[in-house]
Amino acid sequence: MGTLVLNGATSGSTTIQPTDAATVTATLPGATGTIMVSGNMPAFSAYLTGNQSISATTYTKVQLNTKTFDTNNCFDSTTNYRFTPTVAGYYQVNITLGGSNAAYQLISAIYKNGSAYLYTSVPTGTGNGNIANGSCLIYLNGSTDYIEFYGWQSAGGVFAGGSVNTQASATLVRAA
Amino acid sequence: MYEKIIKIYPELTAEDFGRFGTILLQNDSDGKGDYIAKWEHPTLAKPTQEQLAGVQ
Repeated sequence: MGTLVLNGATSGSTTIQPTDAATVTATLPGATGTIMVSGNMPAFSAYLTGNQSISATTYTKVQLNTKTFDTNNCFDSTTNYRFTPTVAGYYQVNITLGGSNAAYQLISAIYKNGSAYLYTSVPTGTGNGNIANGSCLIYLNGSTDYIEFYGWQSAGGVFAGGSVNTQASATLVRAA
Repeated sequence: MYEKIIKIYPELTAEDFGRFGTILLQNDSDGKGDYIAKWEHPTLAKPTQEQLAGVQ
């Protein structure tokens, strides 16, 4: 089994076609193989390890300090807690934010380049500890654009630690 | 920060700082603490550093 390498143009489309289309079938992948459409699609998932103390009514960046995976090393889990992908395109971005008390209003926020892009709010008294889930598609330019994750709680307290309580993820769904 | 502002302006509520509020407090988890990122209240002036420092 050899390797097919296509060199040349870096834009446009490439067609793979058997020389005799009437009698030959090209099957991709093979019976046991896997075809990787794009091997450099950034994707990450990270979570808050322990409870994070927060002030009341203050949008606070979630310290997603543990990675579950980070395919292209685009997520900073130690300093800025931000995702800066290296491929331009449209990204599915998700956050699950756990609060500390159902008596408090909870807001999760996805920030793009330092400004709020999406809010998701959970009112008070919705259960045994609130969780605010947010999700959206965001265009990121593959160089300077970045996303971060913030939360807000009406009476302070904590963001609940643990991957089942507070985590965020993103993946490229369509290149630019 | 929130508690200090409330002491200066007791008429404010948590809603003034929420999703539809005119005041945005933020903490970037960079060790610099809470700060006023936006103050667009229609009648109350943004507290000065001196006012905030004077609140216990």
